[in-house]
Amino acid sequence: MENISHKSEIIDIFSNVRNFSFEEKKAPILNEERINALLDAILDFKTNLKGKTERIYSINERIEKITWFNNLDEESLMLLNDLISVAKDLRTSLIRQYIPMGYFRKKGIAKEEIKDFKNSIDELKESFEDLESVFFFLPKMPEFVETTTKLTLV
Amino acid sequence: MELYCLEDFKVEFEKLKSKKSYKTIEQELIGYFFGKTPEQLYSGTRLNHSVDAPYIKKRLSGRGGYRVYFLLVIKNDSLYLMFIHPKTGPQGSDNITDESKAYLYKKVLACIQSKDLYKLTLDKPNTKIQFDRLDSV
Repeated sequence: MENISHKSEIIDIFSNVRNFSFEEKKAPILNEERINALLDAILDFKTNLKGKTERIYSINERIEKITWFNNLDEESLMLLNDLISVAKDLRTSLIRQYIPMGYFRKKGIAKEEIKDFKNSIDELKESFEDLESVFFFLPKMPEFVETTTKLTLV
Repeated sequence: MELYCLEDFKVEFEKLKSKKSYKTIEQELIGYFFGKTPEQLYSGTRLNHSVDAPYIKKRLSGRGGYRVYFLLVIKNDSLYLMFIHPKTGPQGSDNITDESKAYLYKKVLACIQSKDLYKLTLDKPNTKIQFDRLDSV
């Protein structure tokens, strides 16, 4: 009886080792697939982030060019006010996306892309704040308006 | 086009130039401002709605980089550098307030009228900016 039990135990261990050995032989291939999938995901993430960053820079540039428009009427100023509001809203959404990226940055993943993404968001803020200054705040400062008038005489 | 600057600009420029993080500042300024026509400098954020004397804030040196404030007086073919600050690095700072923009604007006008300015030229190999006080030119 004892021999039968030992035999059964040996067969069980044999089977276990056999399965384990077989799985491990396949494992490197499975790991490579996983690594490739991870690398593909990182590449996708970087590509998407770069595209988004370029889109933000392009918007910033277009907002900046508005400051060269002359003689805007009341309706245009109202549109500008709306543009400033949606740009603020866009920035809030982008910042929400940026915050969880801190984990990747710490791990050294897409570090430069994330840094550039943050810079584009900072410049977006700068662009709409400048737009607000140029069309709504600076023209209300008497000292500023007076200087513009005096400059025409220089 | 003649280039001038305020004392504020010169002080800030020299302070930054001496720091390792901003060693490219002089080449950036030379590359952007020297040997240009006024039309070539019509970019950046125009702060004062003026066609003849635009007061401009320009982002220099790509992303991050510097912010330069200057005035272009087209009819005099003159450019006045008013202030510069970096956005990043040890001396990096936020953008200046509207009050500071107005202060600099008023100051540049007063300095133009009193000729309290530095004239900017380049040395022979065109690698260094030279500052000469107007009353000593």
